[in-house]
Amino acid sequence: MGKLFDELKKDILYQHGMNACLNCGVCTAVCPAAEFNDYSPREVMNTVQSECDEDIKELLKSDKIWYCGQCFSCKTRCPRGNSAASVILALRRLSIRHGYFAESEKGRQQLFAKRVFGQNMLDRGYTLLAKNISPAHFPELGENWEYYYEHMEEMRQWWDVPMDLENSPGSHRQIPEQDLDEIRAIYQKTGAIALMEAVEKAMEKKLGSKAEVEKYWQTWLETGDSRNYELKGENKS
Amino acid sequence: MNKNIVVIGGGVAGMAAAGKLREFGYEVTLIEKEKELGGNVKNWYKVFPDFTDAAEIINKLKGELKGIRVINNATVTQINGVAPNFEVITSTGEKIDAASILVATGFKPFNAALKEEYGYGIYNNSITSIELDAMLKQHQVQTASGKPPQKIAMIHCVGSRDQQVNNNYCSRVCCTNTVKVAIEIKEQIPDCEIYCLYMDIRVFGRGYEELYRTSQEKFGVQFIRGRLSEAGEKTDGSLLLRLEDTLTAKPMRLTVDMLVLMVGMVGNTELAEIADLKVGCDRFYTTAHEQYSNNNSEKKGIFLAGTATGPKAIMESITDGRSAAAEIAAFLHSFTLENMSCDLSFRQPFASMIAGGNQFCNTPPQPSPY
Repeated sequence: MGKLFDELKKDILYQHGMNACLNCGVCTAVCPAAEFNDYSPREVMNTVQSECDEDIKELLKSDKIWYCGQCFSCKTRCPRGNSAASVILALRRLSIRHGYFAESEKGRQQLFAKRVFGQNMLDRGYTLLAKNISPAHFPELGENWEYYYEHMEEMRQWWDVPMDLENSPGSHRQIPEQDLDEIRAIYQKTGAIALMEAVEKAMEKKLGSKAEVEKYWQTWLETGDSRNYELKGENKS
Repeated sequence: MNKNIVVIGGGVAGMAAAGKLREFGYEVTLIEKEKELGGNVKNWYKVFPDFTDAAEIINKLKGELKGIRVINNATVTQINGVAPNFEVITSTGEKIDAASILVATGFKPFNAALKEEYGYGIYNNSITSIELDAMLKQHQVQTASGKPPQKIAMIHCVGSRDQQVNNNYCSRVCCTNTVKVAIEIKEQIPDCEIYCLYMDIRVFGRGYEELYRTSQEKFGVQFIRGRLSEAGEKTDGSLLLRLEDTLTAKPMRLTVDMLVLMVGMVGNTELAEIADLKVGCDRFYTTAHEQYSNNNSEKKGIFLAGTATGPKAIMESITDGRSAAAEIAAFLHSFTLENMSCDLSFRQPFASMIAGGNQFCNTPPQPSPY
């Protein structure tokens, strides 16, 4: 038992997601992420259940908590009614609050999540805009997407869901400023804004300066793979 | 007061109780809803841990029923009156006087189709432990295509210890039964590989652990600690299982010719309203006290035995039936003593017990009106 665990215990997602785990492995067996990565929801649950701060800290600094795709298959199978996916969410928040996410490669991708999905939410009320999905980053979407990406504005006119029209149907509509203010107020009140700020702050600390964070961001924008940014000196991990 | 006792349910607990009550000199009417006595046990092949033939057990208990009136193909539809003057009405329209009633209505097997991910009723080679037992009895363990299986997986805790189906309890007998049928398969098909997928092994009775050990040492049955997440059917009818071997922390896939689902017990509460019996959150009947009044219901004069009050092995059900017989005899004896106007003070603890001297009973202790 320790401070990290006590903080985790206060998270409602932890309270709802964790009854005593009996380590039967049904979650890991059904988990799509566990099939391809060095990741096991059962091990995460077991680490958390140990209430050992040292182990939890190691977990928060590792890639492991970022592999979960939030499909909640674990929840539907668990004989004890646990939800590993919910516990993972609580761990992610804890990792961000303490800046531990910046210690792992998968964790550092929170910067993109924050700057893309987070910022989109505050600016547009949507997590993902068609404009974000550049063909260079998503070559697997093929020629059709490439055509759409380049003729988005025109094509959406044909379909009668024009870009940036206030209150029109479709993901590219413009939400009235007054409603966006409400969304922002919710994000402020629920602590989401604080989490976003924590992401920027911890990245700056990890990479050494604001300028380095921008370099990291640019690397990703240009190449679609943050691993092309090389960590310097002591920060290598 | 008449001296007839009505026993509802002709499984091993009901038969054991009826036989013992007859031995004590009571008249007994045994009501069985099916056309044959024997309950679930009559369907089994051999039972753990000593491979006694289930038929031998049934025949032994039946042999003790001489002088007992058995009504088959009948259920109880109504119970009137209070102890010791009950009137029991059957679905066949009969009215039977009873000084006391024993409810020994047993369990129902868990419906494996509720665990959809195991493919019961969807894949031909996903079967229940009940179906496997019938195959063993016929010496015809075979896949849907009629071939002897080369690889079998047995799934523990199907419908037990599982919040997803609202059965949080352990059914107690499935682990040892798995070990037993695994040995039987090995005897009938020696080159068949058997994998038992378990969460915990609960072989708790005398001779059970030894049976478990024998299955590993002598028969090479494999035990993998992991719960099955789901089964998928391949084009050849074999089944692909996804699980984690939690002891080596490795997600694994296992292809088997046959999947056996070790189904647990579900409470049978058909008489809850008719007999005014309380049901626990596990949906088995509640006893007057879990520790020391486990054959008494909260209703005076109505007793309980066998798996009606929770999962039990066969031997335990028989013992429980005979224990209920002793409780009933003592209960009826108290009325006889009262009629003889002798000193009753010695039986007060018992009287207060059945009248509600514990936390689960709402009826305040009252002097007997008889």
